Amino acid sequence: MDEKYIIGIIAVVIIAVIGGFSLMGGSTSVERADNELVVCPDSHGEEPEDGFDPILGWNYYAEPLIQSTLLKMTRNMEYKGDLATSWENNADFTEYTVKLRDDVKFTDNSTLDAEDVVFTYNEAKKSGASLDLSSMDNATVVDKTTVKFTLNKPDSTFIDKLAYIGIVPSDSYVNGTYGSNPIGSGPFKFVQWDKGQQVILEKNTDYYGTQPKFDKLTMVFSQDEAAFNAAKNKEVDISAVPLTYANETIDGYKMYLMDTIDVRGIHLPVVNNTGETTEDGSPIGNNVTADESIRKALNYGINRKSIASGALNGVGVPNYDGIAHLLPWANKDAEIKDGDVEKAKQLLKEGGWEDTDGDGIVEKDGLKASFDLYYSSSASERQAIAVTVSEQAKEFGIEINPKGSNWDEMDKIKNCQPIVWGFGSTDPSTMWSEYYSDQAGVGYNNPAFINNSAVDAHIDAAMTSDRNASYSEWSKASWDGTTGISPKGDAAWLWVGEIKYGYFVDESLDISNDTALLQPHGGDVFSNIYDWSRTSSIKK
Amino acid sequence: MVNPNKNKSLNPLSKINLRTKTLLIIGLTILILVLIVICSFFIDSKEITTNFLIINQPPSFEHLFGTDWLGRDMFTRTIKGLGLSIQIGACASLLSSAIAIVLAFIGSINQKFDTFVAWFVDLFLSIPHILLIILISISLGGGALGVTIGVAFTHWTSLTRVLRAEIKQINTSDFVKLSERFGKSRLWIAKEHILPLVITQIIVGTILIFPHAIMHEASVTFLGFGLSPHEPAIGIILAESMKYLATGNWWLALFPGLALLIIVLLFDIAGENIKKILDPTSAND
Repeated sequence: MDEKYIIGIIAVVIIAVIGGFSLMGGSTSVERADNELVVCPDSHGEEPEDGFDPILGWNYYAEPLIQSTLLKMTRNMEYKGDLATSWENNADFTEYTVKLRDDVKFTDNSTLDAEDVVFTYNEAKKSGASLDLSSMDNATVVDKTTVKFTLNKPDSTFIDKLAYIGIVPSDSYVNGTYGSNPIGSGPFKFVQWDKGQQVILEKNTDYYGTQPKFDKLTMVFSQDEAAFNAAKNKEVDISAVPLTYANETIDGYKMYLMDTIDVRGIHLPVVNNTGETTEDGSPIGNNVTADESIRKALNYGINRKSIASGALNGVGVPNYDGIAHLLPWANKDAEIKDGDVEKAKQLLKEGGWEDTDGDGIVEKDGLKASFDLYYSSSASERQAIAVTVSEQAKEFGIEINPKGSNWDEMDKIKNCQPIVWGFGSTDPSTMWSEYYSDQAGVGYNNPAFINNSAVDAHIDAAMTSDRNASYSEWSKASWDGTTGISPKGDAAWLWVGEIKYGYFVDESLDISNDTALLQPHGGDVFSNIYDWSRTSSIKK
Repeated sequence: MVNPNKNKSLNPLSKINLRTKTLLIIGLTILILVLIVICSFFIDSKEITTNFLIINQPPSFEHLFGTDWLGRDMFTRTIKGLGLSIQIGACASLLSSAIAIVLAFIGSINQKFDTFVAWFVDLFLSIPHILLIILISISLGGGALGVTIGVAFTHWTSLTRVLRAEIKQINTSDFVKLSERFGKSRLWIAKEHILPLVITQIIVGTILIFPHAIMHEASVTFLGFGLSPHEPAIGIILAESMKYLATGNWWLALFPGLALLIIVLLFDIAGENIKKILDPTSAND
């Protein structure tokens, strides 16, 4: 008889807990003042393990807040000087000279000069933990306000690198401890880092640029449901949430879905697995995806529109070649008519793939058209993409087994098994790292082992031409009328769609959405924090 | 299953009502459990497809347990997950009792072996259960196999202790000593004297390992070890439901959670009642 009581008690407890959860948000108290900002900034990245050290990777793709950069991007994707007053390059893009402001001080009151810039870039190249500075030979001091960057090959995208790394003070920088007590020259000054919880910054009153209108900025490191709950409990001004929460509403908050250039896609290794491995022993190639008809069938058979409206919660944008449509080098001609199951079947048939054993999956020479598709378990939209692609591919006879994993595991199999990736940067050199032949198997670069001399030639041409002229060359790497990496060409990737970043923003806050910059992969909301203001008191 | 009718002659006729009742309870619980396993066998996890037109729907007659964030039917996912749980539970129970029996008989050979078995049980008990399961399943490369083996190799300790104590007691009894004097081998004694007396313990112990194994399988998958997050395992379903409780999707946690609870209790009830049938003296406890 005791059991009946136990059943009853446990059931009541479960119901009470669930009821409590779903009713949570009723009792809340607003603890922040109007001149303070509390933000859950990032649902994609995490708290920086090494702290706020740009050399070790702190926000090198976004506004570093504590530090400042040489250049800043403008809304029409050009660069303006920040620490730099002028910059120029030589004719073949192998040397860049940057002139600096002479009135900038770090928050420890030391002066920021050429030595600090040189130190930051040389150290960042050494650490390799942030930006890809492989094209840079070294940075040297010309005089107190002039820096010269010498490159080992022509690189017209080096200007992007000038906008990325926050400058650290060379005198007081100590590798390893700087991250937990950073000193910079940015709009905010570091106060306190409670590891695992939050970092507190306050306004840098000596900042040389536009002063932000808030005295204090707290970044809370909550993700996913914790970030959603933080907004629901009115603990934060801004909360970045995954797309699965995009269609929720929270009283007192507005949902901003911000444009990004962050694209999700699957790489399809183009070489056979011959037992060859990379230097660190990870196997190369996949015998199924190495067959072009498989890759083409996937690219033509998958319905990106339905993925955008389903797996990407209706806020995705179909993408065919990994270049977001808002980028200046987007290529309209790379688009294809997809979702065409008949064409996919036709392509497989022409390629010699046929279903001989009647299990609905095609075979060729005894090889079943079946492969594993890895995705990061912590990213729900990647899981949704993997599951949907697998379901769609089954319709035209390709078996895809989704496998949830983590980056430590995927690092070992990235050159032989397809993975759901996220890429997207305002720096076009990501295309070089994704597709250039000599980058195959280097770190996370060119995991599909693409080796197309025409693509290489276009990238080489882009690297040696002026910024605006380079755009057409970058486009041609996708599709130049005869070849490219896109579906009509090698179909080396199955690019699926662009996502948006969703933020719940307190209604008392104006985040000046029309001056916000496009967010790259892993970007955050702070690009235009100088323009934010509190239009009314926070509702208590 | 052991045929409960075997003990018929031991039961006085006056107890027929309680006996029928007990048998009925056993029959019903086992029927439900078998039904779930059979159902889950017929569900191909590839057939649980996404449907973005019906995401996050509350329970209805069409979807008894509602749907999740990918529009998958939670009822079929839960049944599939429970089926997996019971299979893992079955493997773990059988393997655990096999290990327990072997160790308990080894321990009964002489004092040295007995000390070794006691030490071995203590060794396993000194490492937190869940930790051991995670360690074993990761070292076997994760996946359903890793979880099964991890759970299977960690649940034999309590049964081993019980059997060891029982056997020790039996070994001191007069009839065992008599057989020894007659020159019967250890194996003969084990087979003819000890086994018949501990068989009840073994059967009941095996069944009672089920709920523990199922709970541990759920905990390990809940923590994200072993299976991919799109696969239907009860722990994964519950972990995922946590994300959506804040948005008010209570059905994602409630029904799978209750289902797990009911399965565990069913095994418990079945075990207790089988004990009553096999060991009638315990029925009056």
